Amino acid sequence: MQAIEVSHLVKKFGTLTAINDISFSVGVGETFGFLGPNGAGKTTTIRILTGISPPTAGTATIFGHDIVRETVAARQSMGIVSETSNVYTDLTGWQNMMFSAQLYRVGRSERDKNATELLKRFELYERRRDKVHGFSKGMRRRLTIAMGLVNSPRLLFLDEPTSGLDVQSNIIIRDVISDLVQAGVTVFLTTHNIEEANVICDRVAIIDKGHIAAIDAPERLKKTIQSVQSIEVSFDSSSSTQLDELRKIPMVNGARKEGDKYRLYTEDPSEVIEGVTAYAHAHNTRVISITTLGPSLEDVFVKLTGLQRSGGGVTAID
Amino acid sequence: MGLQDRLSRELVAAWAIAKKDVAIYYLRPGTIMGGVLFPLFMFLAFTAGNLSTPAALIPGLISITTLFSASSIEPVSIPIERRTGTFDRLLSAPISLNALVLGESLSGLLYSVCIASVVFVAALIILRTPIVSIVPIVLGVLLSSFCFATMASLFAAYPTESPGDIISMVNLVRFPLIFISGVFIPLAVLPSFGQMIAYVSPLTYANDLIQGGYHGKTVLNPFIDLAMLIVFILIFQVVANYLYKRFND
Repeated sequence: MQAIEVSHLVKKFGTLTAINDISFSVGVGETFGFLGPNGAGKTTTIRILTGISPPTAGTATIFGHDIVRETVAARQSMGIVSETSNVYTDLTGWQNMMFSAQLYRVGRSERDKNATELLKRFELYERRRDKVHGFSKGMRRRLTIAMGLVNSPRLLFLDEPTSGLDVQSNIIIRDVISDLVQAGVTVFLTTHNIEEANVICDRVAIIDKGHIAAIDAPERLKKTIQSVQSIEVSFDSSSSTQLDELRKIPMVNGARKEGDKYRLYTEDPSEVIEGVTAYAHAHNTRVISITTLGPSLEDVFVKLTGLQRSGGGVTAID
Repeated sequence: MGLQDRLSRELVAAWAIAKKDVAIYYLRPGTIMGGVLFPLFMFLAFTAGNLSTPAALIPGLISITTLFSASSIEPVSIPIERRTGTFDRLLSAPISLNALVLGESLSGLLYSVCIASVVFVAALIILRTPIVSIVPIVLGVLLSSFCFATMASLFAAYPTESPGDIISMVNLVRFPLIFISGVFIPLAVLPSFGQMIAYVSPLTYANDLIQGGYHGKTVLNPFIDLAMLIVFILIFQVVANYLYKRFND
């Protein structure tokens, strides 16, 4: 039995087709990333999988329970962490945990034990009696995730868990996700942070315009676009025209500035390295570092979704 | 999962939602003060204008108080929870929409019963308003509070994040109800057309029951009043359940 089984799922809003015949499955204990640009259908898919919104066609099961016909049973094994930190700011941290546990009908002793452990794990225990409106953004996010775990779920939906957070919260949350994976919890993750998905996920699906554009392990996806290799180079001096000049080196398909470095995309790295060396000689500058890079998951994402890179990164990823 | 277990789960969840709402919305000083001041000002308005004697006014005042207090908070709290995303937490919990609607309504019921009790006790102690039987008054307040709170949950199903949208709709119903339900103009005096309209108002049955507790006589059979209030609660619950399901799509 799979943790999630999605078959020919379709969701229409009037004439708009938000999800168009998608199928995939997520194994028990797997960490599955769900990536896509704005409006690709990620949130709609999550709303269907969590039983908030019914599909127009197709089926979705959670541990064998049909999400439409056996909604309550399917949800009982889930923890849901939505993109917004949807905590009750007029309640204390402890009251929020208790409320979430009661909704999932966690027994009183287990409720207290789980809440205590989770609040300690997320470094919120000392503030448990404080109303949440005094919490920072990172603390609210941590509390949201703690509330999603209070019923000890077998499957956790994590929607943008670390987006825009401070370093401390990021580290705590990533450690907790890592521990959950070790404990065999299935994680369904959507994130802006493609590198995060690359590091955490066993497999990722890239959804675009309501279709699954690709679904595989991150490393296997990267192999599908080996033609997109790149050279990362930095010089001891820079000028405003340097990026344009580097773009003119033979075999360079594209270039962008990344901090004090340049990234040059090519199908022939050795040819470009020679070109870079010649450029340095000609412009009386020195190469401080030069590295050949394979395609990143972000490159796969950009190629499959047809997004345009602007400046130092990918735009409009949601 | 057996029916008993399912029912128990739903009731526990509904009670948790009600407790949460009471803690967040109903126990605010402004809400409590507003709840108490509303019937006080209504009372002063009618007695100052010599529109009625205090004793004759109290049953109708209790009826109106239950209507307004039971339906006052959900039209505000649910749109706010939609805006903050906390309503999605309820929608995605392992409970049915019936439990969600019941939980939201229970908090309105508790608030309304408390405010109506203040009016009842104040009338008893300060005005020494005589009562014939407390049973119809208690049943009338309980059922009408539940009924109007469920009605408010129904209106709050409209998918907006602006409380004003819901409050406007609720007021479109609440204010006409006062005038067609025998609160100010006795049912017997209403023209036949007015009486027909009165019978589709739950406030008519609530007011009739409460009047019965104070005056010892009702226009309708008290059991019909009770049955009609229960029917209205069920209708509002079913329609609210349907609307939340439809608007979530």
